[in-house]
Amino acid sequence: MAAPASTSMTRTTRRTTLFRAARAPRVTVRRSPVSRASENGSTAVVEAKKERSPSPLEKGGTLDGEKALGKDPAGATKAKLNKKLGTASEQTFEDERWVNQTWDLSQFSGSDGNTDWDAVIDAEMERRRILEENPSPSSLKEKVLFDTAIIPWWAWVRRFHLPEAEKINGRAAMVGYFMALVIDGLTGTGIWDQQNSFLGKVALNVAVIGIMFIGSTSDLGKLKGLWEEATFYDEQWNKSWEGVERPEDDE
Amino acid sequence: MKTISRMTMVAGTKAAAAPGSVRARAPLATPNRIGNTARSAVSQMAGAPAGRVVVSRRRDLSLNAVYQDGQKLDRPLRVAIVGGGPAGACAAEECAKAGIETFMVERKMDNCKPCGGAIPLCMIDEFDLPSEIIDRKVNRMKMISPSNVEVDIGSTLKPNEYIGMTRREILDDYLRQRAEENGAKVINGLFMGMEQKEGEKGPWTMKINSYEGEEKKKVDLEVDVVVGADGANSRVAKIIDAGDFDYAIAYQERIRIDDDRMKFYENLAEMYVGDDVSPDFYGWVFPKYDHVGVGTGTVINKPAIKEYQDAIRDRAGDKISGGQIIKIEAHPIPEHPRPKRIEGRVALVGDAAGYVTKCSGEGIYFAAKSGRMCGEAIAARSKQGTQMIGERDLRTYLSKWDRKYWPTYKVLDILQKVFYRSNAAREAFVEMCSSEYVQRMTFDSYLYKTVVPGNPISDLKLLWGTVGSILRSNALRVSQGPTVTFGRK
Repeated sequence: MAAPASTSMTRTTRRTTLFRAARAPRVTVRRSPVSRASENGSTAVVEAKKERSPSPLEKGGTLDGEKALGKDPAGATKAKLNKKLGTASEQTFEDERWVNQTWDLSQFSGSDGNTDWDAVIDAEMERRRILEENPSPSSLKEKVLFDTAIIPWWAWVRRFHLPEAEKINGRAAMVGYFMALVIDGLTGTGIWDQQNSFLGKVALNVAVIGIMFIGSTSDLGKLKGLWEEATFYDEQWNKSWEGVERPEDDE
Repeated sequence: MKTISRMTMVAGTKAAAAPGSVRARAPLATPNRIGNTARSAVSQMAGAPAGRVVVSRRRDLSLNAVYQDGQKLDRPLRVAIVGGGPAGACAAEECAKAGIETFMVERKMDNCKPCGGAIPLCMIDEFDLPSEIIDRKVNRMKMISPSNVEVDIGSTLKPNEYIGMTRREILDDYLRQRAEENGAKVINGLFMGMEQKEGEKGPWTMKINSYEGEEKKKVDLEVDVVVGADGANSRVAKIIDAGDFDYAIAYQERIRIDDDRMKFYENLAEMYVGDDVSPDFYGWVFPKYDHVGVGTGTVINKPAIKEYQDAIRDRAGDKISGGQIIKIEAHPIPEHPRPKRIEGRVALVGDAAGYVTKCSGEGIYFAAKSGRMCGEAIAARSKQGTQMIGERDLRTYLSKWDRKYWPTYKVLDILQKVFYRSNAAREAFVEMCSSEYVQRMTFDSYLYKTVVPGNPISDLKLLWGTVGSILRSNALRVSQGPTVTFGRK
């Protein structure tokens, strides 16, 4: 425990670098010849041979370098480390509206006398942000009672969906209009006829749903990643059966 | 008591070998071959003509005649099981029961493995375990979210339903003794390597550093079939080139806490989620027989495991404060099966094969069960040890195993991928677990190891509620903390 703390001590000025990179210089040592290898092949190979083989902690799925970006124990653990070094501004959550481990809704009433749910959402967002960066011990005496489900659905929709809805509807309309124009130009079927035909209705729905899933090109990558994740484990299991005839169970 | 019986076993085989004067006439490179001595003893018992027992090196080879798969044997099939944990012991028990000549190699007979030690209810029945080996009966669980929302799980359990907490040294020893009672020969030794001197249909010669008796002895053991049950760092897997798996490191401190605090954990296990305690797994406080095990695990950021351990201690806070750390342990936990689990006449079972579930990280039951299924397959396919078996015969075990348990593994994989992604997903996970329906379903599938299809209307409600929870908690998340993906690494 002492070693990583002391290495980071010397680098406190570079607090913004990744936690792992900051506390474990040996990782960067291992990484450097590899990155150089891409630039000039032959010398780097010799260098790479000199490297010690990675420790068990660095193998077997440990992410490193670029791949580890954003997957490090960022906020929470960094904050803890800062606390140990005495440089962290320790933020503990306190709010006068947080009474008996829940939000006191009576303090959230808006001008019209109804609960201002937007304010509740804001307050809870802030509470979670603080807790994420400064995890607090669970306690037997103080059990958290607040349940996000008490905020009505329309408050969520108004807050988070409506600003998005504008964008989604706008895109769907543009894509739909453009496609209708193309079809009109190609086949001579007017917009009104397209609306009335079954095919046209199907195409309309496909366009709207498609826009919901693929709002931008980056979403395509995301969907592909999701599909890979969903099937990855199957691949790992099926490896033992590749090129092998599977015996029957009753054999 | 046990060591004495083992010593006499060795002495006995030596005595049986002496009249045949195996070592005197056979100019063997290695001085002591358990395989030979034991075999001569067995073949004499089986009434084989005494003249066939080793006269010279050449005769020795003719006795080792290469057997094709399915060929009749004039001696019992010889199986070596490397590793004496639950997987190895259960495999040995099944083989020995069928009359197969079974050797089990284990170095540390009192190995106290760093391990949660939780076993499901169905294991107690299926493996006929006595009640003494259960230290604690856990029937309450607490799940604690990153924002410290706690959910008590276990209200749906019936009075006689519980999760058994065991000490591995006790459980393993019990299973090993049972294998021994059934006729397996337990060798206290370290498995060093093995080779096939006579081609891929020939016998395996295993090199073992035997610690039977006073000092270390190098011995060779000759067998037909090898079962690798030697855990995550399996040597057998390495020899057959079975490929690697990703693994998590599980770190656990055994902490002795004062009586009042211990009382709180009497029948309660705690599970903490949050990216402070682990970016892709959970942290735990499990009750042991007179202390608690506090630990955590991770795959993607193993170098930071100690920071995560600090975090889990902090999160448990007052509940374990003032405790004394009596033991620190760490161990790799496989994430998925090895690319190759069977090669020729070598099969892998338990952790060596990679049978640990995602999400919950459970492995004892699956190890014991895979060992047993492998043993059963060897017994059945060799017609109780009377004929040689090959890769295809061993694969019957693999095929049954995959068919039977694939759904369980897949469900847990999906759960991990959905709910361990980020703190927001974890909040939703805890929220979801407050539903009684979810609790009943998870406990049923954990305790009885069957994925029971639920009520479709409740399932739909659950899906709706879960999607709602995930959307809500994601919406509430402003800080750009880590989000984990579980794809190719």
